[in-house]
Amino acid sequence: MRDLSARQPGAVHSALSVLEAVAHLGAGVSAQRISAELDLPRATTYRLLNLLVEDEYLVRTPDLAGFALGAKVTQLAAVAAPPVRLSSAARSVVDDTRRVVRGGVHVVLFVDQRVVVVDPDPDFPLSDHARLLREPARYALGRLLLVEDGAATGAEVDAARADLARWGATRQCGEITATGGCLAVPLRDGAGALAGALGFSGARHRVDDPSEVLAQLRPAADALAPLVV
Amino acid sequence: MTALSRAIARPDPVAGFGDRSPLHGLERRRIGIVDLAAQSVAAVAPAAAATTVVLLVAGVAPGITVPAIVAAAVLSLCIARTVGVFARRFAAAGGLYTYAARGLGTRAGLATGAALVTGYAAVAMFALLGGAYYATYLLAGLWPGLDRPLATGATLLVEAALVAFVLVRGIRVSARAALVVESLSVVLIVVLLIVLLVNIGPVDVGALVGVSRSGGLDPVALAAGAVIALTAFVGFESAATLGVESISPLRNVPRAITGTVVLSGALYVLAAVTQVAGFTALDADLAASASPVNDLAAAYGLGGWAVVADVGIAASFLACGIGTTTALVRVLFAMSRDGVLPPALGRTHRRFGTPAAAVGAALPVIAGVPLVLLGVGVPVRDAMHVTLSVGAAGYIVSYILVCVAAPVFLRRIGELTVVPAVVAVLSAGALAASLVAFFVDDAAAGGGVVLVVGVLALTAAVVIGLLRRRHAPGSIGRYDEPVAAQVLGGVPSPRHPDDA
Repeated sequence: MRDLSARQPGAVHSALSVLEAVAHLGAGVSAQRISAELDLPRATTYRLLNLLVEDEYLVRTPDLAGFALGAKVTQLAAVAAPPVRLSSAARSVVDDTRRVVRGGVHVVLFVDQRVVVVDPDPDFPLSDHARLLREPARYALGRLLLVEDGAATGAEVDAARADLARWGATRQCGEITATGGCLAVPLRDGAGALAGALGFSGARHRVDDPSEVLAQLRPAADALAPLVV
Repeated sequence: MTALSRAIARPDPVAGFGDRSPLHGLERRRIGIVDLAAQSVAAVAPAAAATTVVLLVAGVAPGITVPAIVAAAVLSLCIARTVGVFARRFAAAGGLYTYAARGLGTRAGLATGAALVTGYAAVAMFALLGGAYYATYLLAGLWPGLDRPLATGATLLVEAALVAFVLVRGIRVSARAALVVESLSVVLIVVLLIVLLVNIGPVDVGALVGVSRSGGLDPVALAAGAVIALTAFVGFESAATLGVESISPLRNVPRAITGTVVLSGALYVLAAVTQVAGFTALDADLAASASPVNDLAAAYGLGGWAVVADVGIAASFLACGIGTTTALVRVLFAMSRDGVLPPALGRTHRRFGTPAAAVGAALPVIAGVPLVLLGVGVPVRDAMHVTLSVGAAGYIVSYILVCVAAPVFLRRIGELTVVPAVVAVLSAGALAASLVAFFVDDAAAGGGVVLVVGVLALTAAVVIGLLRRRHAPGSIGRYDEPVAAQVLGGVPSPRHPDDA
């Protein structure tokens, strides 16, 4: 949508309605069905669909007759998420923790089952921010979400549940890079619901035996939880 | 919470997408719009055509040369738009072959493939011959004692080796080589034409559009001229074979194709205006000139510039060889991945991601046929005429089939609207008429091309009849399908069991 000018606000509106319609009607929906649903002229609908496919917000199904949302639409959500900032009280807790922990310390919140990174460690950046948002379950942070989601099953979920029971944290040891790993300690609100997490990323041996790092993170999480949720 | 944000937060699993494209192995999303357009422009070779086609058009449509060229440009734009119907919806390596297969099924797809392979292969032979002819001509100027037939054969082999090298070395290398060489040739020709135009002085617009002639426009002569001019545009669709290798192919491939027609059309109109105005000002007959640009250059005291034009033309032929062979090997690659040709032809170079096996199979034929023709004593100009005419017939047949396929394809996917269907049907009709006129014209001149095309068509029909039994309906026309990772909630499903 590079050629869009301010004279075409209607086009933006229509394009978003088309995405909305594909989300509502489900993968594999035909162009005619979308046109009928939105009450748009057919030629206009087809043009919008082709533009959205060009930009990969939509993809055509292999028979070319249907449409599904492209993985790229998650970028729309990432843009739309409101910026969140830590209060100065919370920030001082995080800064104190970063001073004593050798590795990255990150604060995230969970919104609608999605990971929202609120305060990544400036000295030890996240290894792959986009991938964390796309495939959260590959990281300790996302595994907290899996454990909390009662419907999820599988060996990965059982392992994460066992970690949480044993350590009070989820882990990822050497699965993304052989020498690295990460930990996530839950931040819970007053009612005990999962609201966010304090994450650690660093050398793998600190995750294989997390007791030393967790001795720093657990009290920090306890102090942080009432300040961020 | 809207349906979209809910889908993003908790995507439903979507099955039916593979974990890799059926056209895996090619280097993906490498070249931008400029390199992509260079591919199409190179295959058209407008610098070489600009200097020769005006003369041919003037022969059948005297006085209405410019309108005939404009008519051919309009028809080419309509074909480009129809090709865009497919190119905007999916990315392919087989170009028109894949498009026709998706619209009309196996038999018509194979027929289009045969016509397209004939077109690309014959024009590649023509380009190698033309490059060798002009290079020998230039060399003879430097070294008068040159053995011309031997030099032509040797230059042809050097060209073929060069084409093979850049094609295997990577799409970026071959696209960039075509871009540089073709830009050089276009700039040289444009500079020469503008210098000539400035020397000629004020242009009589009435004489250019043919209105000053008594009796107005002659539609038959206009059509005959347009058919000849159309052969100067063929090749503009070849960017469609780079769908896998192009960045944002659904946006860039249609733009590259349309842009090529506009650029070539502008160059031909400039060439026609210069030559028609030049000969009108000299009060000479354009159709009677053997080499109008050289004659004009000589008449206006720019004799030395003729060498510039010859360098430009030789460069244009080389770029044309690179461009058409690039397209040819990708069609062969796509046919191999469809199971039509042996699987070995679908192998790609492990490091450079190019269809190296198809290059290895195609180049000996492309270099061998012209060498055999020269070896048995066919004059270079005659060999060039036959290969170009056979190639043009192949292109036009594939255009007709793809124009017929477009409305059927749109109906099949439920996206048929009036304008694209009307444009496609009118283009198919005009092209069919052009093809008939082309054959009638050739039959009157001896019928050599009709004979070659007839033999090729018969062979293709027999081969397709045999292949048709091996391929179930809808089994060909594989394209660069989106993979599961590109789909929100996409779950890879195994789909191509024969896809090693």
